[in-house]
Amino acid sequence: MTNPVTKDRRHFEDLRIGEVIDLGHVTVTRDMIITFAREFDPFPFHLDEAAAKASLLGGLASSGWQTGGLSLRMLVDSLLNKVASAGGLGFTDLKWKNPVMVGDTIGGTVTIADLRRSESHPQWGIMTLDFDVRNQREQPVLTMRLANLVDTRSPGDQA
Amino acid sequence: MTRWFEDIVIDEVFQLGSHTFSADEIIRFASLYDPQYFHLDAAAAQHSHFGGLVASGWHTVSVGHRKMVDALFAEEERLRGLGKEPGVSGPSPGVNSMDFKVPVRPGDTVSYELVVTGKRMSNSIPGWGLLFNKLTATNQRGELVYRADLVGFSKLRDYQMPLRLRVLLALTRLPLIGPLLKRGS
Repeated sequence: MTNPVTKDRRHFEDLRIGEVIDLGHVTVTRDMIITFAREFDPFPFHLDEAAAKASLLGGLASSGWQTGGLSLRMLVDSLLNKVASAGGLGFTDLKWKNPVMVGDTIGGTVTIADLRRSESHPQWGIMTLDFDVRNQREQPVLTMRLANLVDTRSPGDQA
Repeated sequence: MTRWFEDIVIDEVFQLGSHTFSADEIIRFASLYDPQYFHLDAAAAQHSHFGGLVASGWHTVSVGHRKMVDALFAEEERLRGLGKEPGVSGPSPGVNSMDFKVPVRPGDTVSYELVVTGKRMSNSIPGWGLLFNKLTATNQRGELVYRADLVGFSKLRDYQMPLRLRVLLALTRLPLIGPLLKRGS
């Protein structure tokens, strides 16, 4: 059964451990920070400049969940929409290393750290990805290890 | 929770409330942060193994975070109502693990629950403690949507800065020595 949406994309067998994907970059504006914070993270230090200056963050900074969301968006554009992705399983060791302040540009790389076939679902492989997201000063802002399912081309074969 | 670090009770359970996900908001979130076809396009999503539109895991987690923030604010209000000074919660250094289990579909209602599983003083930031929280999200059928091990900062009420640090802080305020010390650290 072929999926018409993903049939021409790279499948599990086409991926290699050690492959490094360039995420491109995105500049984080004040509007983006406040719009996200209003809906998902309305702490004063994500909404208000004065409150932010007085906080541990030292200035208006994006919600960590927004930084993660933007990192995910860069991954979707640079990799997940080019492979037969079947969704995320979860992640481990998410670390917010430095706050992302208004006007910062974030970008970086994702490395394919591991590829293994699912034992319970032979139609899938599990792709493990290591994020290294940095700001324009090359300071780390986010690292995490994401596990994502990718369709196999031939469920029976060994990769 | 918005209590002083000292007042946080291990194993206390907080019901954070629930949220019903509409197709519109699933698509709106996905278009900004996770534009994969099964989060974005109901017709195309039929071809995926989900068999229809599902919310981005990052979306369900972001809503869970909002629920936690609302609960913190409510606790702050409650403490003020009792004439007590609430504590201060700070930003989070990270998440140890997050497992997505059952996908969220349009119309699903997800309930969120938080348990404080541990706490310790921060090694890196004097006057603050670290809280270890377990968050679970469950749908209207009682199925586990996701489970997360979260970490958060919480301020100490009774913190006394050690003399050594107080002297250092006073020195950094001197016009000549301050910049040298800051450069050295």
